[in-house]
Amino acid sequence: MLFFHQLGGELAKLFARKRTYIGFAAFMALEILILLIFQIPKVQRGWQRTIERAGYGFDSYFSGTTLAFQMVIWTAFILGGLYIALVSGDIVAKEVEEGTMRMTLCRPVSRVRLLLLKYCTCVIYTMSLVLFIGTSALAVATLKEGVGGFFAIQPLAGVFQMYDTGEGVLRYLFAMPFLGLSMLSVASLGFMLSCCNMKPAAATICTLSYFLADMIFRGIPYFEDIKAWFITTHTEAWYHMLRTPIPVEKMVQDYAYLAGINATLVIVGVVIFQSRDFKS
Amino acid sequence: MIQIANLHKTFAGRPALKGVSFEVRRGEIFGLLGHNGAGKSTTFGILLGQVYPNEGEAFIDGVSVQKDRASALRKVGAIFETPGFYDYLSGWKNLEILASYSGIVSGRELEEAVQIVGLEKRIHDRVKTYSHGMRQRLALAQALVPAPEAVLLDEPTEGLDPEGIHEMRELIKRLNHDRGLTVMLSSHLLSEVQQLCDRVVILHQGSKMFEGRWTELDDERKRFRLGIDDWERAVALGITIAVQPDIIELGPNDDVSDVVKRLVNAGVKVRAVEPLRPTLESLYLDLIREHKADT
Repeated sequence: MLFFHQLGGELAKLFARKRTYIGFAAFMALEILILLIFQIPKVQRGWQRTIERAGYGFDSYFSGTTLAFQMVIWTAFILGGLYIALVSGDIVAKEVEEGTMRMTLCRPVSRVRLLLLKYCTCVIYTMSLVLFIGTSALAVATLKEGVGGFFAIQPLAGVFQMYDTGEGVLRYLFAMPFLGLSMLSVASLGFMLSCCNMKPAAATICTLSYFLADMIFRGIPYFEDIKAWFITTHTEAWYHMLRTPIPVEKMVQDYAYLAGINATLVIVGVVIFQSRDFKS
Repeated sequence: MIQIANLHKTFAGRPALKGVSFEVRRGEIFGLLGHNGAGKSTTFGILLGQVYPNEGEAFIDGVSVQKDRASALRKVGAIFETPGFYDYLSGWKNLEILASYSGIVSGRELEEAVQIVGLEKRIHDRVKTYSHGMRQRLALAQALVPAPEAVLLDEPTEGLDPEGIHEMRELIKRLNHDRGLTVMLSSHLLSEVQQLCDRVVILHQGSKMFEGRWTELDDERKRFRLGIDDWERAVALGITIAVQPDIIELGPNDDVSDVVKRLVNAGVKVRAVEPLRPTLESLYLDLIREHKADT
């Protein structure tokens, strides 16, 4: 009970920040921008060619779900990682920098519990952000293009699938929590770095740099044999929800790997934080 | 109530505390005095479990902060020189959040704390609109929930204007008198410690130089300002000059009338004899001087 009371305080702190609201507004703006790009005739012709080459009708499959999926991919890639890294990188380091951590540590609360609360806050933020991206993209795209079949295409992840309206929407909606789980790795690394003696901005930049480097190196053929060691190889597991049949075993494997990585990062963060002296 | 036992602490090889021990009794106002870097904040940090000592232990009501921090801190509230708040939240929300880490605290308890520090009118405003004095009062309010037995105040009047200093001082006195709170405060403002504290510890470069009632030192060191025409002859008569050339210091058993008599008998004209009540500042400077001489 007390834990949830304290978690409520942590969430109140996070969601009272202007930056959090601006973040959500920025996602909406980016989604609308992507939607506008899809209205350019040249872009639409490209989609028409691809859909029709696959033997399906453009009018049926250039739908709200199809566009929402593309919007989510780009929004999560461009802004999602950035905002999650920003929030998780700030979550401890910012409080240390502003002196509020010392005020909190005057209280009879253990450092481990405090960090657990903060990590839970990161998890809730990540999940709510991803669900917001997913639902708002679907809402905006459906408003513009209406309902229809779902053409799920992401060449980099090897996704190329067609679904009817009902199954498409369900697949899309069920994929979102898994995208959230994938993004938790960004939050976990940001959180771990935030527990170190570094500036909040440094924690954010290091987190983003790591994931960018991970993604770039993973794409280099030289590293093909060790591809499984890269985190971003496993964060793509949410695309599995869009494959037929869903490779459940592979999904479990990927998310178990990510859970292990996340747990390790959180434990390392806690150990580092536990050993630190806090003094003005 | 509070016990510090043989604390040693080094930061990057630099000693910050060198075997400091002292005790704060229940119900007293206790002062920790020293320059910046003397070890005051480190002592507070160790007492709150925010800094790990290399050696030694701190106890609050018999519970070791190092062994059972959560239990030890249940009975204390604390504030710092520059208290950090969530500026974008109201004072009330700050209180709610900070107090939640001590358990479930009722709104009534928070209201009472706000009333004590006199922030009722502005408590629902955002903290970013508060003056420094108001922030300090808010800090004190959060230290008062949920009903502590002792409060640790690290430089509580730092940065306040004279009126703010006076208000804070009166507030501390009131809390001690009305609620029987044990108060441990650190300061480099000698007058503040002098006006507030029953007993003091003086720290210098991480070492304890003095512990006790400052009036104890006062009794031991009787000083007088003498107006005489021949200091050379006075010194030849064995009169000890202290601090300044016109101030003499007598031992606990000496009497100033004997000194005057000796001077007059030796033909020295005595124009004035003014007893000097030592200030904490003079004691502090003396102790540092003695400490330097010893080392």
